[in-house]
Amino acid sequence: MTQRAAIIGTGAIPVGRYQTAPGAPIQVVEHELLAKLIVDTVEESGVERARIGAVVVAQPRPYTRQQYFSTFLTAYLRLPCSGIVMEVLGNGLTAALAFDKAVDEILLGRAEVALAVGINMETAVSARDHMMESMRKTGDVDFHAPAGFTPISWYALDMQRYMYEHGVDRALVASVAVKNRGHAALNPLAQFRKPITLEEVLAQRPIVEPLGLYEVPPRGDGAACVIVASEDYARRLGRPYVVVRGRAFHHEGIHQLADVPTDMIAFNAAAKAAVSAYDAAGIGPEDLDLAELYAPCTIVEVLASEAANLVPRGQGAHAAAAGETSLGGRIPIGTSGGLTSRGHPSYATPLYNLIELCDQLRGRAGARQVDRARLGLLMNELGNYNAALVHVLEAAG
Amino acid sequence: MTMPIRSFAHPRRYPPRVTEFTQPFWNALTEGRFLVTRCARCNHSSFPPKPICPACWASEIGWLEVGTTGSLYSWTRVHAGPAIFDPDLPYAIGVVDLDAGIRLACPLVGDAIGWRCGMPVELVSCIYEDGPFYAGSAIVASSA
Repeated sequence: MTQRAAIIGTGAIPVGRYQTAPGAPIQVVEHELLAKLIVDTVEESGVERARIGAVVVAQPRPYTRQQYFSTFLTAYLRLPCSGIVMEVLGNGLTAALAFDKAVDEILLGRAEVALAVGINMETAVSARDHMMESMRKTGDVDFHAPAGFTPISWYALDMQRYMYEHGVDRALVASVAVKNRGHAALNPLAQFRKPITLEEVLAQRPIVEPLGLYEVPPRGDGAACVIVASEDYARRLGRPYVVVRGRAFHHEGIHQLADVPTDMIAFNAAAKAAVSAYDAAGIGPEDLDLAELYAPCTIVEVLASEAANLVPRGQGAHAAAAGETSLGGRIPIGTSGGLTSRGHPSYATPLYNLIELCDQLRGRAGARQVDRARLGLLMNELGNYNAALVHVLEAAG
Repeated sequence: MTMPIRSFAHPRRYPPRVTEFTQPFWNALTEGRFLVTRCARCNHSSFPPKPICPACWASEIGWLEVGTTGSLYSWTRVHAGPAIFDPDLPYAIGVVDLDAGIRLACPLVGDAIGWRCGMPVELVSCIYEDGPFYAGSAIVASSA
């Protein structure tokens, strides 16, 4: 039988504001935070340090002063490896790619235990200064950045189009933010935990019309560590673990928009990758117990849930408003609180989503535990950046 | 097929780089003409202009002047943007589908316009102090 990859340990710090202002006399430093987290997570998992053969680091933001973070970190931890030590980068998929590469190291037999880690520090940089950099990451820098496009402006375009095509209003889509805040209230890792009402969401100042402050991601710092191992090793540890039952990727060869008209809100890459991942896992979407989606804005959760066929096309916002995607509903989505409330330390976010699924599938989610959760969907997709990496995870052990 | 021309009394906030290859596009835009690249082998038209055909990878690329009317696929108004765009806040941007079969993304200009998906728009040539760019604008009904 083919070896499977198992997740045997997870750890993260609550999403929040950790980065210190440049002039502060006492600084918070990225490697001190992450090294401590890794040591604690490895210890808690029961993994022997000498078994770790690969470390894959989500490349930190440019605002993280330390560079060449992978070999620096393994030196900081005196961690020799014969699998791989590297940083990965791939838009919002970055931390998902760290996980995916760690899984590969296991499946290729290069390591018995591999770490996927990430740290995101950005809150000491103002949003308007941060966007000077992020605007260069949308479309063609010479044909789109001059117009002032920002990453979330593309989601606002999706939102306007969705409202137009499906005849829904802003409030229906905004119900996603209220639902996710309810989930975040139960998550100790969440950045924003005070419940909010739909009226409060709709009353926030506009950011990219029609989306207001609570419908777009907050900015946050965070650090996360996921330990992946061969299933043989996971069994020997004798504790509940999670296996990767299916995995798929797709990209359409489109970056934000094609040069000919296409359906921008179908999220075709996500739809195709989801089908392939379900096929690889031998399941259908109806078999899933819950899903964690990379959804920076309310509308993205709606579109991604439709693309993954968790809800019918055009019904994503209705389903959220009706409670279908709430904890206790038909298919809970974003039990972590999602990116709008759990928080979005972006280059670590996919690891946070993965950790939520692992907590659920290992029965460690406390007050937000999904009853008898066995199968979970981890969908990291980039919206109009058009790439999707999908994992189907299953409880084991 | 000349486009309306609008003048702005300030430089572009984030000027595009002009290459030897794209220079004809920017020069034509200054004159109110909108060019896209067209593949001499497979006839695929592409925008932004590129010296390789994305459809068939041929390098035999020519310029095609296209009509600049179309419809607004989607739009948004940005209230929080990059620091360099502070003077323009809030500003509208959109995705335009030209009748010529080209999709592009651009600023939207025009005062007090109620932008809506599906509305007819046209491209205008925007002349700034340091060079041109292009934008979508509502088509004003002609009395002719």
